[in-house]
Amino acid sequence: MPASQLKRLKASLRDQGITGPQKSKKQKKQARHDAAADRRVQRNRTLENIRTNFNPFDVKSAARPRKFDVTTNQSISSKNGRVVLGRPGVSKSAGEEARRRMLLPEMQRRNRVGGIVDRRIGESDPSMTPEERALQRFAREKQKRKGNVFDLEDAEEEEELLTHGGRTLEFGNGQTAKDDFDEGESGLSDGPESDEEAGGILRKRKRGDESDAEQGGSEENEEHPERKKSKAEVMKEVIAKSKLYKYERQQAKEDDDNLREQLDQGLPDILAELRGKISQRPPPTPAAPEVHNREIIMNPERAAMLNGASRKEVEKRYDEQLRQMAQDKRAAPTERTKTEEEKAKEEAARLKELEEQRLRRMRGEQVRDEEDDEETQSHITDDHFEEDPDDAAQFGLSGPPPSSQAQLVLDDEDEFLIEDDLIASGSDADPILSGDEDWATAEEDQVNDAQEDDFVQGLLSKEELGRPEFANSKKPTSNLTSTEDLAYTYPCPASHDELLKVFGGVPISDVPTVIRRIRTLYHPQLHEDNKAKLANFSVALVDHISHATQDMQSLDTVEIIIRHVHSLSRTYPEKIANAFRAHLTSMRQKSKPDSGDLALLTAIGSIYPTSDHFHTVVTPAITIMTQWLGLSRVTDSPLSTDFTTGAYLVSLCLQYQTNSKRYIPEATIYTLHALRNSRLTPDLLAAHLHNLTTMATLWQHLPSFPEIFRPFLPLLKPSHPKPHSHLSILIHSSLAQRQPLRLHHHRPIPIKSATPRFEDGFDPAKHYDPDRGRAEAQKLSKEYKRERKGALRELRKDANFVARERLREKRVRDEEYDRKYRRLVAEIQGEEGREAKEYEREKRARKRRR
Amino acid sequence: MPHAVGSVAGQKRKLPHDATKAHKSTENPRTSAKAVTQDSKDAILLLETEILESRRNYNNIASLLVICNETQTDEETTTAAVALCRVFCRLTAAGDMTKAKGMPENEVTVIDWLRAKYAEYTQHLQAMMRDSDESKQSTAMVLTMRLVKESASKDENIWRTGLFCDLLQTLLSSAQSSLAREELVEKYVDEYDDVRFFTLLGIMRILGRTDKGKEVDIKALVDHSLEILMRMEGPFPSSEDITDFLAGSPPPKHVLRSSNAHKKAAQDAWLSLLRQPLTRPQRKAVLNKVTTHIAPVFSRPELLMDFLTTSFDIGGAVSLLALSGLFHLITTRNLDYPKFYTKLYSLIDADILHSKYRSRFFRLLDTFLSSTHLPATLVASFIKRLSRLVLTAPPAGIIAVVPFIYNMLQRHRQCTFMLHRDPHPSFLAWQTLHPSSSSNDNPSLEDPFLADEPDPTKTLALESSLWELDTLRSHYHPNVATLAGIIAQQFTKREYQLEDFLDHSYASLVEAELGKEVKKAPVVEWEIPKRIFSAEGGGLARTGSLLEAVRAREREVDKGSKDT
Repeated sequence: MPASQLKRLKASLRDQGITGPQKSKKQKKQARHDAAADRRVQRNRTLENIRTNFNPFDVKSAARPRKFDVTTNQSISSKNGRVVLGRPGVSKSAGEEARRRMLLPEMQRRNRVGGIVDRRIGESDPSMTPEERALQRFAREKQKRKGNVFDLEDAEEEEELLTHGGRTLEFGNGQTAKDDFDEGESGLSDGPESDEEAGGILRKRKRGDESDAEQGGSEENEEHPERKKSKAEVMKEVIAKSKLYKYERQQAKEDDDNLREQLDQGLPDILAELRGKISQRPPPTPAAPEVHNREIIMNPERAAMLNGASRKEVEKRYDEQLRQMAQDKRAAPTERTKTEEEKAKEEAARLKELEEQRLRRMRGEQVRDEEDDEETQSHITDDHFEEDPDDAAQFGLSGPPPSSQAQLVLDDEDEFLIEDDLIASGSDADPILSGDEDWATAEEDQVNDAQEDDFVQGLLSKEELGRPEFANSKKPTSNLTSTEDLAYTYPCPASHDELLKVFGGVPISDVPTVIRRIRTLYHPQLHEDNKAKLANFSVALVDHISHATQDMQSLDTVEIIIRHVHSLSRTYPEKIANAFRAHLTSMRQKSKPDSGDLALLTAIGSIYPTSDHFHTVVTPAITIMTQWLGLSRVTDSPLSTDFTTGAYLVSLCLQYQTNSKRYIPEATIYTLHALRNSRLTPDLLAAHLHNLTTMATLWQHLPSFPEIFRPFLPLLKPSHPKPHSHLSILIHSSLAQRQPLRLHHHRPIPIKSATPRFEDGFDPAKHYDPDRGRAEAQKLSKEYKRERKGALRELRKDANFVARERLREKRVRDEEYDRKYRRLVAEIQGEEGREAKEYEREKRARKRRR
Repeated sequence: MPHAVGSVAGQKRKLPHDATKAHKSTENPRTSAKAVTQDSKDAILLLETEILESRRNYNNIASLLVICNETQTDEETTTAAVALCRVFCRLTAAGDMTKAKGMPENEVTVIDWLRAKYAEYTQHLQAMMRDSDESKQSTAMVLTMRLVKESASKDENIWRTGLFCDLLQTLLSSAQSSLAREELVEKYVDEYDDVRFFTLLGIMRILGRTDKGKEVDIKALVDHSLEILMRMEGPFPSSEDITDFLAGSPPPKHVLRSSNAHKKAAQDAWLSLLRQPLTRPQRKAVLNKVTTHIAPVFSRPELLMDFLTTSFDIGGAVSLLALSGLFHLITTRNLDYPKFYTKLYSLIDADILHSKYRSRFFRLLDTFLSSTHLPATLVASFIKRLSRLVLTAPPAGIIAVVPFIYNMLQRHRQCTFMLHRDPHPSFLAWQTLHPSSSSNDNPSLEDPFLADEPDPTKTLALESSLWELDTLRSHYHPNVATLAGIIAQQFTKREYQLEDFLDHSYASLVEAELGKEVKKAPVVEWEIPKRIFSAEGGGLARTGSLLEAVRAREREVDKGSKDT
């Protein structure tokens, strides 16, 4: 049987040296002398230790000790290996304390109305020092006091004295307003009559008398803590603040001045531009010089007020002008004339840029970062195969979309017009300068700076000159010489039939001049309808290419028409492309192209970049051409005997591929077929041989070059030694360069792994759910459960506490009652006893008396 | 005149005494010579009823025949023929045309006379069958079959030698009577089991006779028998289901009741047909149906083998068509066809990608090469050969070949060496040791592939590389080039659905591009060329002169056409 609690306590106290045998006085003295404070601390600590150790219920721990060693990252109390799970006593008392602090007042305040709430700043905030509190209150007070700076009434109350007839009001004893205020306050209890009686003075009362009084009251209240600061400090603060305000005001004013100065600096430019555009713009408003003249008037508002105009109106006008000025395009500073070198350099840079764009299109990449095309593009090139139900569709075997946006390069158009001496210089005005053209973007401005310059100079005069000229249908200058008998005005043909009517009365050699005149006459800048008219005209021109060729007109004419269409297609790319596509559609049905078709195909090849990976016009065109060539295998195909057209088609195909060097199987097949034919005329033979050498040079980089061109060797050997040797040399060098294919330098695809992942610091209590969402949800529901339990427990404890408190209160009340009752009883009993004694005494006395 | 035919068919089942009435009710009121025909019809009917009333009036048969042969109007001929048919049917049914032992002399004479008239009548019917008038053909057909029915129930030999045999002979030899053939198949062969049986038997016999004798137009014969055989409906019924007979049901255990006998008849008919010299279109037609029509009726499809192998050896499209038949036999009948793949390999020639059977061939090729147990050398040869062809193929052919090769490479990973071959490590080591010599001594890399080797296992294709497909990556058509790009990408896709790639053509490619609307303005060449047709110093450049030549030629052609 273990020793009793008491005995154990005694033993441990003795062990720790807290109790012990009685010490002698000397010993005590010495000990005290040693280190009294230190010892006491030591003592207290040991006592605490004993206390916690002694009460086994202070600490909550697992019911039994651990049987085995297990790995866990929970802390184990080092002492006896028992895990401390909690300290119920401590937490209980803390909870009790918290309840007493929070719940009890609430409980006591229940069912009560009213009371005083302390709303002073920082009063219930223990984190504030009294100084801070005071400072904040002072600042608040200041703010409230300030109100409107310009409120005269407030200011009067503060500083100004009461006056009557310009004299300061003085009271008999020379009291100040402040004293007066005091008196007023004191007089408040007496009522207004007493006030009047007191001085007989008309006192100008403030509007909110009562509120003021109240304010004064609260002022006193609140200013109380502020007193703790010294007056000097407060004053310093006030001064600092006022300085700050002043500085800020100055700063703002300076900023304004700067801005104004900036505006003034820009003014000469603006004026220059205004003057330059005088014909197009309304005359500058009279306000402008006012703004401009800085020396005389700084502030337009004030100037306007001085001038007598209403302030609002002037402001409005000023704003308007300012806005206009901001919107006006600032004239570019006149650029110095560039040296030849610089010009060449710029031109080279532009060409390089264009070439890069072309290459990018050739590789099928995006030219601009266009979002809408991105997905379709990835549709072609990327390898996300799974989504697509039709395997073929993903290769665009229903067709990929066009890859790039039109970019307009306008300079060359005019270059070519001028250089060919086709037109009076400049009357074919540069579209960039016409403001309504939305595509004249800044970028292009940059590109075309050099060319633009020439046109900027003297544009206006020409413009003015141009108009009446055209209206009178008379053109005075140079190009009268060649075509004197031609008319100057023509109706703008809207269709090919009308075009033929127009061209009907004109000799074929003058057709280019007529086209030029129509283009000049209906320039889009001259009339808004001209844009549509010219578009129709260009479509009719496309039709005319084919017509003119078939009509045996001179190829020079056709060439010039093609070049006109080319330059027009910069402005009307869609219309012209659609016209070409319509022609292509009609070509599909033919088994063999006629000369008109060939001319159209040639035009396509020169107008559009044939090197593009995909092009809405070029791709169908070349597909149709190869279809004709490919069908030559069939014996009854017309092309299998018409080697002239065939030769032209092959050379056209090859011309399409000059840059991109793409392989056309049909061209080789056809040339082989043609060369095998023995009935070729020498001219045709030469043409086909030329085609052969061209394609050999074009495709010499192809890895299967030898296989493609070997079939030609036996055909060439005896009769044509030159192409033969050329071809065999190319074959030999191609063979020498050939390497085995190495196409699959891809990163190997990782094999899907099924082995479980090994966690280094595995914690069984933790969740390793790979599904993130599920893990999160689980976590949340756990937390909710815990919180709920906790809340329930707390509520239960609260209820317990409330019940306990009630009981206590009741007990107190009962006790009080009991005490009172007993006191009363005792009082009564005492009185009764006294009276009884009195009565006895009386009785005894009477007896005695008797 | 289907109206008349219908009436005849309706009358057949009617009793003799109300035949007249029925006939009157169905007469055609629209005929122009109404009164006349009405009279002659009445006369014909009178003659007919007289024959039935008494044997003494048999001579009316002769007069009816005369009407049949000589009168001009179709209607009268038809009426007479129908009347005669009824008469003969009745006579046959009554046994008036069969000789019996111990018959009196005069009776025999009558029967002989009747038989002679009967023969004359059938001759007339055959003639009608050859007539170009389709309604006559149809009438003759119906009447003949009616007679066949009546006589066959008495005597089975009528099928083999008699009237039916003549009918078949007529049908097979006459070019005109395609409608009659159709009718035979539709109304009788497919309906009645015995008709089918004897038709097959008859075809076999007629075709078997050809080589022995006289000058017959074999081509027409084969054509017509093919027509009939092709028209016949699908599978043969089992023995229990053979219940429809035209000429009364035969006794149990009869040949006609056995399904196998039917099948054998069909097989024999087909075999006799296939033994004939077939023209190319005929062969193609037969081959087209081999797996679906012919092989199922053969109890021993092996017998088709000779035909198929000879067809396969012919080459070209015929070989292609024979392929599926052969494959059917190989897979279902365990046919051992040695050098099948060699043969198949030889089929892949320059024309295959241009042929109209391209998609069909690729479907089959896909099936033949689908086994993963094929040797890699063989598969590589196929791949290499196809890729060689691709160099001269139209875009549609390329579109079919590239996914096919992709699938093959995916199935036979050993063949991917043809796409990616790192040099041997020792070679690399040597190269690093001799940096100078590497550039000079680089041996000219001739393709190790032997294109002319017929045996696909010996072509060394596996040592080659698919430079041809690499070449296609710069094909002029953007879609083709993109598609060819898949060989350089990672092989992440398991398989391309070949079906999606097979049926393209120039037309579909152009349609795909021209069909869409232009959404964005196309790019325009930024530089306007100074010269297109003209040369620098004046005159025409090469293109210009070529175009001029084209125009000159056009002018010539125009002139030529105007002159003529």
